[in-house]
Amino acid sequence: MNNVIAQCLTAFVFGSVVGLLVQRSRYCNVAALRDAMLFKTYRNTKALLVAMMILTMGFTAFITVGAGKPLHFDVGLNTFVGLFLFGIGMVLAGACTVSTWVKAGEGNVGAIWALLFTFIGMFLFSLLWSFTYWPPAPSTMTGNFNLAGLQLGFANAATLQEKTKIPAVVFGAIQTLVLYGLYRAILRRERAGAGAQAHSESAACNAWADNDKAVPQGAARVTAEQST
Amino acid sequence: MELFKKTLSPVAAMAIIAVLNIFLFQIVGAWTVGGGETMMTGLIAQMVMGDSLSRIPFWHVAFPPDPGYWKIYISLGMLFGAVVGAVLSKEFNWHMPHRLSEWVMITIGGLLMGIGIRLAFVCNVSTFYGLTPEMNLGGYLAISGILAGAWVGTWIYKKSLEG
Repeated sequence: MNNVIAQCLTAFVFGSVVGLLVQRSRYCNVAALRDAMLFKTYRNTKALLVAMMILTMGFTAFITVGAGKPLHFDVGLNTFVGLFLFGIGMVLAGACTVSTWVKAGEGNVGAIWALLFTFIGMFLFSLLWSFTYWPPAPSTMTGNFNLAGLQLGFANAATLQEKTKIPAVVFGAIQTLVLYGLYRAILRRERAGAGAQAHSESAACNAWADNDKAVPQGAARVTAEQST
Repeated sequence: MELFKKTLSPVAAMAIIAVLNIFLFQIVGAWTVGGGETMMTGLIAQMVMGDSLSRIPFWHVAFPPDPGYWKIYISLGMLFGAVVGAVLSKEFNWHMPHRLSEWVMITIGGLLMGIGIRLAFVCNVSTFYGLTPEMNLGGYLAISGILAGAWVGTWIYKKSLEG
């Protein structure tokens, strides 16, 4: 699709549906990780895994026939460190890139504040980058291993298919099975610890919300402590 | 309408979003948020700073501000969809953190998210719903990073609750 307006319109419609569904389901990426680590509850983790399974099969099926528009840039140390910082930040802020927009749409000033400082963080990084020029700009990426730039290069399901001559969807199916294994392990854990289930049904993102419904005990304490 | 009376199952919601994301992957590219936020940052900076923004190399080498960048509209759409959902379900209300410590945590968290996104070129959405399902090497690096970061963040958060 080359028409800019059509691209933007498609993106807006997709975003609107996402915003609506996330708002109505109270899904949260932060909760998917933080609740699992802090409360050993997995309401959002299961949703994350299901989405990843569907996407892995869908994306790799299209990649197999040369369709779709995969992300294309080199990765390296910056990818790990960047998401490490992001991971700390999202837990401290109580929201990720999705929930800041969704909570902002619910009238949460804390979410708007988090968004504002995400923008400020990006601008500060742009100043730093203008001195270091690291990580390499997309226009200077080579796709190959680059020790000086601490870059591993580029590899995805398409390059795997190209090198091994095995359809990308086969690798996708293997990854989906691994994700399904994790999902099953969570289900077993939930069944085993059904008593502990009452502890909290997703607190992380609701920590921002004033709606105390379905946020019992341990989670309620978090809500009270950090109403972010 | 039932959708605005009950909380939807997150598994169902994310399954629907995943299917739509596969269509988006075909049309423009997978769901992402960080790129659109970066472009918004550039556009806001351009409004505030005018031509002097071009003195910062990042904004003409790596990310020239462009209002026609489709990723911006995913974020604006999410905001719009959330407002519609919140208003129709009568869950919209202005509220804010009450304590200084909460403001500090959100401020630091926001800054770290912004810096992290630009350093990595990806956000959590691209990590979980783009790179990793595409089996991109960066997806596995990013997941390792975000899990480690979330663990550290959770530890800090837990300490702050105990303190």
